[in-house]
Amino acid sequence: MVNLLFYIAALVAVLTAVGVVLARNPVISVLSLLSCFASLAVIYLLAGFQFLAAIQILVYGGAIMVLFLFVVMLLNLGGLSQEDGEQDDPLFHDRRRSGGGLAIAVALGSASLIGILRGARHLAEPTNGFAMPEEGLDALPALAEAMFTRYSLPFEAASVLLLSAAVGVMVLAKRQRHDGLAPAPSGEDRP
Amino acid sequence: MTVPTEHLLALAAILFAIGVAGFFTRRNLIVVLTSIELMLNAANLTFVAGARLHSANGGVQVDGPIFVIFVVAVAAVEAAVGLALVIALYRRKQTVSLDAIARMED
Amino acid sequence: MTHDWLWLIPALPLLGSLLCGIQHAQVLRGRTTRPDLQPGIGAGATAVAAMAVAFALSIMGFAKIGGETSFLESSSWAWIPGGGGLDIQLAMVLDRLSGTMALVVTGVGLLIHIYAAGYMRGDAGYAKFFAFLNLFVTMMLLLIFSDNMVGTFVGWEGVGLCSYLLIGFWYDRDGGKPGHAAQKAFVVNRIGDACFLLGMFLLFTTFGSLNYGELVEGIRTAALGGEHSGTLALAALLLFGGACGKSAQFPLFTWLPDAMAGPTPVSALIHAATMVTSGIYLVIRLNPLFAASELALFLIAAIGAATALIAGSSALRQRDLKGILAYSTVSQLGYMFLALGSGAWVAALFHVITHAFFKALLFLGAGSVIHGMHEEKDVHKMGGLRRHMPRTFVTFTCGAAALSGLPLLSGFFSKDEILAHTFAVGGAWWILWGVGVFTAALTAYYSWRMVALVFFGEERFDSQAVHPHESPSIMTVPLMVLAGLSLVGGAIGLPAVFHVPHLLGDWLEPVVRTGNEILEHRSGGHLPHLSHTLEWILLGLGSAIALGCAHLGFHRNKNGLDAENSFEQGHPKLAATLGDAWGIDRAYYAGIVTPVKILAAFIAVVIDALCIDGAVNGLADAAKRGGLRLRALANGQVSSYGLWMGGGAAVIALLWALGGI
Repeated sequence: MVNLLFYIAALVAVLTAVGVVLARNPVISVLSLLSCFASLAVIYLLAGFQFLAAIQILVYGGAIMVLFLFVVMLLNLGGLSQEDGEQDDPLFHDRRRSGGGLAIAVALGSASLIGILRGARHLAEPTNGFAMPEEGLDALPALAEAMFTRYSLPFEAASVLLLSAAVGVMVLAKRQRHDGLAPAPSGEDRP
Repeated sequence: MTVPTEHLLALAAILFAIGVAGFFTRRNLIVVLTSIELMLNAANLTFVAGARLHSANGGVQVDGPIFVIFVVAVAAVEAAVGLALVIALYRRKQTVSLDAIARMED
Repeated sequence: MTHDWLWLIPALPLLGSLLCGIQHAQVLRGRTTRPDLQPGIGAGATAVAAMAVAFALSIMGFAKIGGETSFLESSSWAWIPGGGGLDIQLAMVLDRLSGTMALVVTGVGLLIHIYAAGYMRGDAGYAKFFAFLNLFVTMMLLLIFSDNMVGTFVGWEGVGLCSYLLIGFWYDRDGGKPGHAAQKAFVVNRIGDACFLLGMFLLFTTFGSLNYGELVEGIRTAALGGEHSGTLALAALLLFGGACGKSAQFPLFTWLPDAMAGPTPVSALIHAATMVTSGIYLVIRLNPLFAASELALFLIAAIGAATALIAGSSALRQRDLKGILAYSTVSQLGYMFLALGSGAWVAALFHVITHAFFKALLFLGAGSVIHGMHEEKDVHKMGGLRRHMPRTFVTFTCGAAALSGLPLLSGFFSKDEILAHTFAVGGAWWILWGVGVFTAALTAYYSWRMVALVFFGEERFDSQAVHPHESPSIMTVPLMVLAGLSLVGGAIGLPAVFHVPHLLGDWLEPVVRTGNEILEHRSGGHLPHLSHTLEWILLGLGSAIALGCAHLGFHRNKNGLDAENSFEQGHPKLAATLGDAWGIDRAYYAGIVTPVKILAAFIAVVIDALCIDGAVNGLADAAKRGGLRLRALANGQVSSYGLWMGGGAAVIALLWALGGI
């Protein structure tokens, strides 16, 4: 039963991933990605990593996707009607580039799959058949302890990274004196 | 869940490949960024599969989940910066098509 | 004890050469235009001084040997230190042979340098000339003094180089003819040099050394023991081949007449007195080697005689004054080889010495005449010059008299000795003797024909345009010295029938001892010998022929060109062949030079330009085109960069998955 759930979630993940890549409208792309994240969270949960599932929903879904949607809405990129100024994004306009990209994707994918197949026999079967402890495999106490002792340096580094990212984003996105945002379809809103 | 590890890994590989395809193929910057996120998630899934495998015989491994947490943090940062760039680009060129910034001399 | 001062003898002319070269560099930089009028020491004076000191040192060395010490040796310098078998140590050895040759080279050389200091005045390359001339003397002395075949070969090549430089000295005149002549000399010499090298290699592999002393020892043992006879003969023939090139014997003589394109002092020094005698020197130095092989000796004598005949007859019909002398030189060199082939080593050297005297004299005199006639060289356009150039006339006549072998002059004794030895050998050598006698007749005829056409008769030139004048003392004094030597130089080699010692023979006895020993051994104890009666007969015969033909040559030509013209009309084909030196040079051009030139042109155009250049340029072109294609990679498009990177990663991943990296 649980395994079946996994396969269903896996299927959803793949379908939504394809949707991310193929969607013409960037809003659809972002929303598909959100669904993908959701199915991945389910898989994490099924695998016993409750904390990670929570993090996945909270951070990815709640913060990152929201940010994406913010920007898309701000720049008005999601309009179904695409008139002046909107980019026209036919999917496979540049055949050569698309072909190359697909080829690379296929190559990498098959390489990984072949590697997995070949390495599969080396994966030791767990004796207890993936039995799970009560509190899940990513119990918070152990996690916290590891995070603040063994991994304290990466932790601090990550916080510095976040800080610099915040500063960088503010610099990058700062409104220039004479630059304006994209005009609304009606052409008003010029500073 | 007693799904064999290789199935988890296979799922991760497929998701990664899809992400790669999207990254190289699409011209819309937003979609490119979401493809990147997809690739990162595939990597996270791989870590989870590994952590599950190594914890299965009794020792709880926290290294896998910790790595996943860091990846998520970095993905967030990268998405933020990428989106800031999108905004800056949109201000200059009124478009988020890759073709607009295709030439490095621009 | 070692006499290291011997190195000074070749070193001083080398220093002179360098100093003259520096002066020439100054000329080239425009700091001076008249190098002969330098304040201080001019190039001519430098060169003459170097020669004078070298001559003095040679005399000093010569005086030291004789009696107990028969040679002086310097300390040796390890040029190629041994170990693996090849051990070349160079030392200067002044023994009786090299001492004598050195006296000739430095003495006659000194006179010619003095003459040239006057002759070359006004030439823009004055300093360059003396640089080359001194360098030549250095190389010649190296050749003579070396105790080792390798050192001799260095000198051999060096004199060839200087000959090339000096023949082509006026390379921009006369339509490039001097340059062509220089090249011809060098190439023909090269053929001889190749034979020399092969002979040297053969001797080294057989005897393990190239030192003359050791070689003579080894050859003596081998010859007396009857072993290695084939090798010895082959080596002798190869070295003789080398000598043919340098000493202009048939078939390698065609360069010498052309070499007259060089300035007259060059012809005198190099192509009469010294370089061309280096072949004879080599044979005398290695006389045991040649004595050991009957075949080699006969071939040498035969070729010498044939060359003497060919060249002597050609001289009859030459119109160029220097050309007559050039063919005469070839002819006399043939006599020297005839002597060597007959085993008369001393006679050969005797003739070298006397020939140096009178031939240098004749050339310098010719230079004086040509100078006075404003570069006119055709004897048909001269005549009656004895009134205008008395001193030149007298000295020139002395030289011609010696050349023709008039009795009691130097040339008479040396030539007679050669012919006597040839006669004494007997058998097939009598044919060679006959050829020699006939050629002596021709020699007398053409010598006096030359004198008559130039100095007697009516003037066949336009006295308005040409004003012949006597040359300055700096040129005529050396002429007078040489004339004296030509007249009395025979005293060193008076025949035994005069009941006086043969000075040169006694002097050189240690040098030729081994060779004579081998000759005696091979002939079973019988060395060729003439009875006194026969010798007197031969002396008389020689005198009669010389006087008779001289008289004939003189009287037929003293009144003008009648004899010349009648001969041409009466025997047109013979006249043309003789004038053309029996057509040999033309045959070479048609048979060898032209095919080689065609081959060279083919190689230059097809192989070099098309194939090799094509390949190299093709490679460069391919690289350029490849580069252009690759440039398309760096197009500034981020997406294409990304694709390439991704592609690379995919390839690696696939390789890993499929093969396992």
